[in-house]
Amino acid sequence: MNVIELKQLTKRYGRTRGIENLSFHVEEGEIFGFIGPNGAGKSTTIRTLLSLIYPTSGSATIFGKDTVKYAPEIKKEIGYLPSEVFYYDNMKVKDLLKYSARFYKKDCHRRMVALADQLNLDLDRKIDDLSFGNKKKVGIIQGLLHEPRLIILDEPTGGLDPLMQQTFFEILRLENQKGTTILFSSHILSEVQKLCDRVAIIKEGQLVKVEKISELKANSHKKVEIETSGEINERFFELSGINHVERGEHLTRFWFSGNMNTLLEQLTQLELMNLWIEEPDLEEIFMHYYEKER
Amino acid sequence: MMNLFRHELRVSRNATIIWTLSLSGLILFFMSMYPAISSDAKAFQNLLESYPQEVLVSLGISLETITSLLGFYSYVFTYIVLCTSIQAVQLGLQIISKESRDKTADFLLTKPVTRTSIITAKLMAALVLILITNGIFMVVARFTLPLFSDQSFDTSTFLLITSSSLWIAFFFLFIGMMASALLSPIKSVIALSLSMVFGFFVFSMLGAVVGEETIRYFTPFHYYDTAYILAHGTYEWDFVWIEVGLILVMGVLSYFLYRKKDIY
Repeated sequence: MNVIELKQLTKRYGRTRGIENLSFHVEEGEIFGFIGPNGAGKSTTIRTLLSLIYPTSGSATIFGKDTVKYAPEIKKEIGYLPSEVFYYDNMKVKDLLKYSARFYKKDCHRRMVALADQLNLDLDRKIDDLSFGNKKKVGIIQGLLHEPRLIILDEPTGGLDPLMQQTFFEILRLENQKGTTILFSSHILSEVQKLCDRVAIIKEGQLVKVEKISELKANSHKKVEIETSGEINERFFELSGINHVERGEHLTRFWFSGNMNTLLEQLTQLELMNLWIEEPDLEEIFMHYYEKER
Repeated sequence: MMNLFRHELRVSRNATIIWTLSLSGLILFFMSMYPAISSDAKAFQNLLESYPQEVLVSLGISLETITSLLGFYSYVFTYIVLCTSIQAVQLGLQIISKESRDKTADFLLTKPVTRTSIITAKLMAALVLILITNGIFMVVARFTLPLFSDQSFDTSTFLLITSSSLWIAFFFLFIGMMASALLSPIKSVIALSLSMVFGFFVFSMLGAVVGEETIRYFTPFHYYDTAYILAHGTYEWDFVWIEVGLILVMGVLSYFLYRKKDIY
């Protein structure tokens, strides 16, 4: 069953770009990544799904129901964590969470305490006094409190330290094992790779591709930078999988996709002074990897 | 909906207490000047007579009644109405704009509630707060007047005059709500609410000076003319019905706009 389904979903704002004819679906029980650079339309899509804003054309369904028509009903089963965390003045963490829980008419006290414990958050603090990361934790608990069937996360990791991020991901995996579907939006590829089964890639308001993470990984490039003492033999660059070569006097940069062992074998032949191998960021993937797709 | 309603009351509780205390203090202060004026009524009237007629009219001062207890009260009451109007328009503007400004709209609007019930709960809360403020004021004023004068006064006229602050506040609540449905997010609620209320107020003053009857239709401050109430002991019902009509239109429009609105 498809938990989320977008059909030609379009949202245009006056001059600024929104989203254009987005169609994809998220299946029940999967962790679905939604990835694209800042300003690509991720938040616009999510806000349209939650009917905070209304589509210009096209439609979307959640749990098979139209998102505009059945908004309040659908939202009973959705937990949402916005990228910018909200807070009401003068409220304790506990009060806000209880306020939130009452909308679902569920007793969430035990879950609240358990989640706060896991995330190491003091329920008796005033929200105003919390750091950005701690406010984010309030948002996370608020999103998970009522045990929703669908969790929608918009850039959720900003402000969380790596350790907390790990805890957060563990919580999400646990929810997922219970059957909860998760839509996870991010502009950080590695984050999505860690967690998601499939991803939709969006750029400038348009869907670039929906792909399995496993396939994305197989196609993925590494950015290699080497510093050598002497000239590099031309034959080195004939190695298949090397592209986007930029040669400097000592520093040479290129992209590599293929068997790592072959590359490393070839690299040992060189007079290396320094070596960097890193993951290209998403912008670079868009610029290089998708160039050839067109 | 009860959940949201209670939350709204809680959020505006302190501001309402401050408004109520300030209004009570203000009426005590104003009325404390009354003994001085009534003891030397003739001299006070002579002093006022030396003012240009336009000034007196624009300030709503009537020479015949200003030195009577209710006459003086209804004059200073103009400034009370100014305050309750500001409170009301602020509450109205906040109904839709506050959550957007504080980034809490994402929280509230992703809860399983319809927009109609959100705006209804908030409107009800604002109505209750306005009722409380004006109600407490009425009680305070009722017991303040005899403190500074032995003159007896007609209670029903007093009630008609005093409750007009409530009716005018309703107008401002709804115009504020409509403005926030149209304009939200609003950067400065205080600036907008002050300019709306003073805009109407200055317009009323000008209208009084010009003496143009039709202007009265365009400003709520003239719907409940205290001179008329003092003289006739009733409202001018045409204006009451106009207000009711306007409130209905503004209310329907606010609901309609809010239900269609994109929330950022």
